Amino acid sequence: MIVKYAPLPGFPNSALMPMVPVIFKNKKSEFPTYALVDSGASISVISTVIADELDIDWMKIPVKTGLAVASTVRYHPAKVTAEIYGHKFNLLINIAEGLSAHQCILGQRDLFQRAKITFEAYKKQFEIVFREYN
Amino acid sequence: MKKQAKIDFVKLLKGHKDGWVGISSDHTRVLLWGKTLSEARKKAKAIKEKVYFFPAGYSYSNFIG
Repeated sequence: MIVKYAPLPGFPNSALMPMVPVIFKNKKSEFPTYALVDSGASISVISTVIADELDIDWMKIPVKTGLAVASTVRYHPAKVTAEIYGHKFNLLINIAEGLSAHQCILGQRDLFQRAKITFEAYKKQFEIVFREYN
Repeated sequence: MKKQAKIDFVKLLKGHKDGWVGISSDHTRVLLWGKTLSEARKKAKAIKEKVYFFPAGYSYSNFIG
């Protein structure tokens, strides 16, 4: 499947980003939103705001720490289900403290294990091919 | 190879300076707006189709993931 980079508002110019629509599910709660596909992120993260919408009691999950570009990130791992273009898979999402409310990043440990992803920035698009499981 | 239509957040979020929007399942229309995510979620309950939530008012230029 070919997905065009999505123009996002910015100043002074808009930004093109590899974004996908994703539906997160936790038991009976679900939250449809958009996520950045980030090959440079080793794990997937969401904000505490999104975790609250999924009724994840993240404060009770033991905290871990990881490195970001300019800081250390505190996060709480939780298992959820994700659906992207009709493909459903289990995802270990990491609820990161201090992120902007909207932030949602899909990284190497989960999505990139489930799908072959080829970035073609020169074409302003990427290809995502989900692996078939028996 | 199937192609997905471009999701143009610049067009979708035009005129929205803050809050959260609810976007249609084909990712082409804003169906609702809420000052808070909670307000947007409440409004979405009255809509039958799947609503995707996204915040307005952010600048994504030079975003470092």
